[in-house]
Amino acid sequence: MDRRSFVKLTAITGAGAALASCGSPENQLIRFVPDDDLVPGVATWKPSVCPSCAAGCGVQVRVMETDAEVVRNGQRGVIKMRVAKKLEGRPEHPISQGGLCPRGQAAIQITYHPDRIQHPLKRVGKRGEGRFEEITWDEAIAELLVRLDALDAASAQDALVFLTRPGRGVRHRLVAQFLERFGAPPQVPFELFSDDVLRRANALSFGREQLPTFDLARARYAISFGADFLGTWNSPVANSAAYGRMRHGQPGIRGRFVQVEARMSQTGANADEWVPARPGTEGALALGLAHVIVAAGLRRPEDAGRPGSLIAGWAAGLPAYTPEHVEQVTGVPARLIERLAREFAELGPAVAMIGGAPLAHSNGLFNALAVNALNSLAGSVEKPGGMFFMPQIGDAIFRDAERPDRQAPRSIDRLAADVLAAGESPVEVLLLDQANPVFASPRAWKVGEAFDKIPFIASFGSFLDETSILSDLILPDHSFLESWVEGLPESGAAAAVASVAPPAMRPLHQTRAMPDVLLEVGRRLRRPLSPPFPWQTFEEALQESYGTLPEGEDGDVWSAIQMRGGWWGGLPRREAEVMREGRSHPPVDFVEPQFDGDAGVFPFHFLTYSSQAFLDGSLAHLPWLQELPDPLSSAMWSSWVEINPKTAQALGIAQGDVLDICSRHGSVRAAALVSPGLAPDVVAMPAGQGHRTFTRFASGRGANPIEILGPMAVAGTDALAWAATRVRLARVSGPDGGLILFAGEMREHPHEDHGR
Amino acid sequence: MYRPSSSGAARIGPVVLGAILAISTGCTPTGKPSSGSSDSRPSPTHDSSTFTTAHATIADAVSDFFGVRPSAKQPIDFPHDVHVSNGLTCTEFCHEGAPAGPVAGLPSLNTCMICHASIAIDRPIIQQISALHGKGVDLSWQRVYGYTAGAHVRFDHAPHIRANVECATCHGPVAQQRVAERNIDLNMGFCVTCHAERKASNDCLTCHF
Amino acid sequence: MARKWGIAVDLDRCTGCGACVTACHAENNIPTVGAAEAARGRAMHWIRIERYWEGEFPDVRVKFRPVMCAHCDAAPCEPVCPTYASHHTADGLNAQVYNRCIGTRYCANACPTNVRFFNFFNPAWDKPFHLQFNPDVSVRSVGIMEKCTFCVQRIKAADSAAKADGRELKDGDVQPACAQSCPAKALVFGDLQDPESEVSRLSKSPRGRPLLDLGLLPKVTYLSRQTDV
Repeated sequence: MDRRSFVKLTAITGAGAALASCGSPENQLIRFVPDDDLVPGVATWKPSVCPSCAAGCGVQVRVMETDAEVVRNGQRGVIKMRVAKKLEGRPEHPISQGGLCPRGQAAIQITYHPDRIQHPLKRVGKRGEGRFEEITWDEAIAELLVRLDALDAASAQDALVFLTRPGRGVRHRLVAQFLERFGAPPQVPFELFSDDVLRRANALSFGREQLPTFDLARARYAISFGADFLGTWNSPVANSAAYGRMRHGQPGIRGRFVQVEARMSQTGANADEWVPARPGTEGALALGLAHVIVAAGLRRPEDAGRPGSLIAGWAAGLPAYTPEHVEQVTGVPARLIERLAREFAELGPAVAMIGGAPLAHSNGLFNALAVNALNSLAGSVEKPGGMFFMPQIGDAIFRDAERPDRQAPRSIDRLAADVLAAGESPVEVLLLDQANPVFASPRAWKVGEAFDKIPFIASFGSFLDETSILSDLILPDHSFLESWVEGLPESGAAAAVASVAPPAMRPLHQTRAMPDVLLEVGRRLRRPLSPPFPWQTFEEALQESYGTLPEGEDGDVWSAIQMRGGWWGGLPRREAEVMREGRSHPPVDFVEPQFDGDAGVFPFHFLTYSSQAFLDGSLAHLPWLQELPDPLSSAMWSSWVEINPKTAQALGIAQGDVLDICSRHGSVRAAALVSPGLAPDVVAMPAGQGHRTFTRFASGRGANPIEILGPMAVAGTDALAWAATRVRLARVSGPDGGLILFAGEMREHPHEDHGR
Repeated sequence: MYRPSSSGAARIGPVVLGAILAISTGCTPTGKPSSGSSDSRPSPTHDSSTFTTAHATIADAVSDFFGVRPSAKQPIDFPHDVHVSNGLTCTEFCHEGAPAGPVAGLPSLNTCMICHASIAIDRPIIQQISALHGKGVDLSWQRVYGYTAGAHVRFDHAPHIRANVECATCHGPVAQQRVAERNIDLNMGFCVTCHAERKASNDCLTCHF
Repeated sequence: MARKWGIAVDLDRCTGCGACVTACHAENNIPTVGAAEAARGRAMHWIRIERYWEGEFPDVRVKFRPVMCAHCDAAPCEPVCPTYASHHTADGLNAQVYNRCIGTRYCANACPTNVRFFNFFNPAWDKPFHLQFNPDVSVRSVGIMEKCTFCVQRIKAADSAAKADGRELKDGDVQPACAQSCPAKALVFGDLQDPESEVSRLSKSPRGRPLLDLGLLPKVTYLSRQTDV
């Protein structure tokens, strides 16, 4: 022990200092009395909710006693505490059903990350330099209050913007109510791969602004248009559980599925049939199938009800969508269209899905409406083996008077544009929570430049990333294992599900739960919020909402929720709620997709995609995920761009060669990965790498395809058409070692018979 | 992450070379570990921000290899005999983990204070530990019995308790002693002999996994 | 009767997601080697997903195949170990005894499926990642070979719990980390000696076959994908 610690010790403990820490080097630190009585060596299991994506899988956390280094009252020491050791899916949870994807398994590394922000920070040095000094929570909250009080005093409450990832539930509503009562606009939701186009299409077709759930377990046939439903899209764990049952869970029946996409995805690799269609033509293909189904007399156009009527020419049987014409548009052979259509109509129950790139073309809304109509035609809406809408607990427990979405929130690109257009930024205080738009949005949106103009930025995040490094003040949130967590899944189960769980362990660092900080700020504003919040803590807010759910046999629903990690069951379903009238909309027709970049100059479609390891990059800081071999390429710690072998040969590109990929908006550099899984005029690059700032594991690694995307919108929506960019390629050099593959030979040798 | 370490060299190469390497690279922290971003240069093996199986010194490596551990130095002279004679059995109050699983556990001051908040409070030593407890500081007991990391032993108390093996069989007459001492050398021969006598498995995987 | 632990892998359920890979890392204190060592082929994925591409665009197919140590009853890694670190146990496991291993790496050389991994260096974890360690599994140091153990720590824990409760182990009581995490339930673990167990039933499926035809008597059976109904 060094002299300074010894002096500190004697100061606080007097003669007792000698008792507490002398001895062999392993006991250099003093030991604190534990907070809890624990039996060592024996694990207990606590419920929680995985934070890695929006699916909201219920997890159980294996918790055991360990010696951990902590800081108490400014003193560093060790303490026996209960810590999380492993995450598993919760067997009885309707979404996870006992399983957990690799991102969920890796989520535990968030809590133990060495680069986690451990205490409040205040910027020193220039913005963006990343130099901060440690301050106390009192100082941090006082600083935030100064800024908010100043806005209030100047009647500039609308200059406050809260940026977060989309969500539902008490946490989201608490933020919304705070903003509303303060007088600020609603929170700005940001998520790159957000599927808002599908929600909008479902609102038009079915009156439900919600992602669909698919009953694959009872399906005999499924067609997925671009949806990576087994990998990254829309509740992959629930989908995979259902997929397993679709294959071999129904006695005597093996469900089949067909994947239609421009790039072989992990889901596509599992399909019985893989059908490449030209980018942006998936909706036309869906209508081609519908045409055949009606022409063959297998269904009548009126069977599709309202969703059908949204498609131009539907009542007449879609005369423009003959197989021959659709073949010209999509590149899919007419005979194949006819066969798929018959299979879809005859091998019931059948369901069609759409997600991913088809929704991110300029005609994405049309594509979604077309697939909705196809599903309605086949009779798969709200039927076993088909698609349906998961009952939403939010509808049952949140009173309408408290509806937070009073005005449509501004999108991030419009926010950035507004800030840049004005002389003085109309946003004076920006609060950041669980969003990294400086990384995950196209450079063309200039989000970084816009944020630079904002006078004061505070972040609740746990890590320094491209966006939070611009902060002036950091008030670090707990990790999910250390907080009350909540998830209201939008899809993935037949029952209504609310996942709610208490902290699985005490905080490791000097962090505080963001909702609790917000509640304290609300109490301490110079002009108090009106009406004031009735809760002291987030826990109280959760109890107030979820404690109103119907009781089970045990009586006390709130205790039961805490033990199980949530509530699930049947809500009283009103038919009208399920199949509402869609909103009116002029009938849509296929329009050739527009692309950013002229085909003569930019010959390739550029398909970025949500990667299995990192999704949109928000998980790139977790080393287990960096080292996880990518499903289709086995690449680790790398960025790459997938190119068709013929294209590679024509351009003189070999595996591993360094390429410049240029769009109209910039270029990125990555290694070539030769792959037969895409057409010669398509190149693909996973999103997630290319962070400039995101902990020691992701910083300065790889390249970020999102940067060079064109800022085109999906027609009829605010959503980014992230699949609509065209690029050109240039070979820079031979391999530079940047492409790291786990696998050796990935082509099957012809003489080996591995069975079929 | 992986870091080339001096102890790796010591196991393969000559001891002298290993010693030179250990002294030069083993003990002195030279900065933050690079952990993956530019990990072509050797990084420190021992600083407080890294956990590694590398040993800090050659002496550590040799001790670990032979299963030698220094004797425990306890912060106070805890008298087992006094407490046991007052009815505190081994596993009921202080070493509660033993019947339940692998780790018997060492009690925290919370346990001591259950009685000593009111018992023997006139004794200076009790006043000292009360003061510590009041400040949230615990006694730093050192383990008396245990295995080095290099032994790769996953010992589980629970099956032994279930088989009615007396605590004293492996730990000696601790109940009649003051401070616990390593009375019995728990080497592998000791375990294997008893296992053979009692017809418990002697397959390697019984303990080493 | 002695048990014979085995796994059935249903390739028609496996989606290639890699949950098993990460779950295994979390359960077994497997070190993350970092980019430089991974580039040298030293990443330690006790279970891995192999992918095989067939055909040319547009008639392309991909097949996923999870591969882990098959605990072969005629394991070629066992006779070559000079110190008996790799040996067969009574319940059919290929044991890797870390203490005995002196790092000759003959076993990895002999293994036809490349499922054995060597610690070329002392692994290190940036703190506080070490708080996540599973205390029921050793942390291996330099010079030691390691591989899938069928989560022997879970087998032992289940046995101990069953004995404590005075009952027998039933099928499904033991779930290695990979099988437990798999969202599609493609991996089924159990006692091949128990004719009623799920793994026995699946191993006898007409779709079932071993990975390699080398007479190794592996305990992992692969159920092929059915491409046609």
